Amino acid sequence: MAEKVMVKGNEAMAEAAVRAGCRIYFGYPITPQSEFIEYMARRMPQIEGVFLQSESEVAAVNMVYGAACTGNRVMTSTSSPGFSLMQEGVSYIAGAMLPAVFVNVVRGGPGLGDIQPAQSDYFQATKGGAHGDYHLIVLAPGSIQESVDLMEDAFRMADEYRMPVLILADGMLGQMMEPVEFPEFVKLEGINDHSAWALRGATGREANKVTSFDIDPVNLEKMNIFIQEIYKRIKAKEVRYETIGLEDAEYMLVGYGTMGRILGSVVKLARSKGIKVGLFRPITLWPFPYAELKKAAEGVKTILTVEMSMGQMVEDVRLAVEGSVPVQFYGRTGGMVPTPDEVLAELLKHV
Amino acid sequence: MEFPGKILIFMGMFGSGKTEIALNFAQSLSKAGQRVALADIDTISPYYRSRDLREAFGKDGIKIIAPAGKLAHADLPIISPEIFGYVENPEYRIVIDVGGNDDGAVVLSSLSRRLPAERCTTFYVLNPYRPFNDTIANAVSHVERLREKSRMRIDFLVNNSNIGPETTGKEILHGEDFIEEISKITTIPVAFTVVMNGVKALKGRYHEFRIVKYMKNPWEVENE
Repeated sequence: MAEKVMVKGNEAMAEAAVRAGCRIYFGYPITPQSEFIEYMARRMPQIEGVFLQSESEVAAVNMVYGAACTGNRVMTSTSSPGFSLMQEGVSYIAGAMLPAVFVNVVRGGPGLGDIQPAQSDYFQATKGGAHGDYHLIVLAPGSIQESVDLMEDAFRMADEYRMPVLILADGMLGQMMEPVEFPEFVKLEGINDHSAWALRGATGREANKVTSFDIDPVNLEKMNIFIQEIYKRIKAKEVRYETIGLEDAEYMLVGYGTMGRILGSVVKLARSKGIKVGLFRPITLWPFPYAELKKAAEGVKTILTVEMSMGQMVEDVRLAVEGSVPVQFYGRTGGMVPTPDEVLAELLKHV
Repeated sequence: MEFPGKILIFMGMFGSGKTEIALNFAQSLSKAGQRVALADIDTISPYYRSRDLREAFGKDGIKIIAPAGKLAHADLPIISPEIFGYVENPEYRIVIDVGGNDDGAVVLSSLSRRLPAERCTTFYVLNPYRPFNDTIANAVSHVERLREKSRMRIDFLVNNSNIGPETTGKEILHGEDFIEEISKITTIPVAFTVVMNGVKALKGRYHEFRIVKYMKNPWEVENE
């Protein structure tokens, strides 16, 4: 077992990406994500990787697009306004069916917003922030160790399904420091065989072609149907979530990311007061654990969804339970983080 | 544990623990009956800064000097000029919490002409469990580079080896071995070893400075 080290979330995710075989990174600094790009600037030269700071997020995403055409593991990281700038490229990468990993360390919005933690980019992440019928696989870690563990999955899924994967963090996860154990380095040889489509030089064979463009509507529809079939496979195979204390729960809290962690404290607080509360924490936000959440909610009196937003994931919670359980919502936004006491007080209103 | 100097400066690499130590040091001076101001000149970290404790420390009689009002949360390199009033005020001792890495040291250097060298004691904080600080050669190069960039003399090294809540005596004693090597090479003496309250007493070779954690996450506040 490797020794634990003390790392900030941004640094941890960057190192985890390196260990997952990422040797190509493009990015543009933005608070509260800048330690990510700073780490990559130091780290990539040590392992003969490519680090390039672009002139903007628009350039960064298109560099990712270009590098992804070679089938190599490539990524970028940013924070909310930066991810908005990247949306056009994200849609092109999804359309061209290319593997790439994105990290959004979310801050308060809309607009320039502020630099404090937030979860108000859920809609953008899960419902398609750009144009076209596409999805990202969206992973929401609740601790630094989980963000490290999910990074290898992110690259694996991007390769396996040939699509962009997003790790949706928040500013707190990026900035806080925790002890972490890193996995071993994955072997780069044979990590991903993309020879059937990747652009790696066409000497002696017919050229591969990568594009998100098809002028023939019949073909474009076929391509979309093909992508939808992949999405079905992902929904069947990749759904992840965590539950705490749901066995005898009368009330269920739902939250993701660091909010899920705060709700873990609320469960303890409430139980110490004799209220039977459990937690459902989605880890994949797309695909969302609809069926699993509905099953977990059987027998509970009320669900309280808590987010660092004005209510975005709560719509998926309502879709999941299909009216079988009343769903309440509590949120703070603009960089404000609900405290366990505050959430408990809200929960008590519904008990 | 007494250190000379009116102005006590905590510098080091990013995430080495300067802020927690500066906050605890200010508290220990205050509890010893001294009037204390703590200057937050960290323009690097967006979160977990000493300015977040301005109100709580104010109640303890400790003045935290940081940009006023909403500017405290701006993503801008602002240094409050108030700091120079406290430098001139004979009643106060000042603890300076410097930002991490080269960029933090440069901010300190911009103040160095207004901080009389004979009245300053500078501490360099080191945690070998942080990225890019895990080898002697790397750690020494950081000390030397930050000393140049800050244009300050470094008087003491501080051993803050830890892996957060999972720290045991093993990590702390490894840090003592590590920092002893750094001390030999740089000829800078070691001031103390930082030990979080709750960790068992050690028989280390340096004085133990016990600290509490002020930079808490929302879930930690309720778990105690």
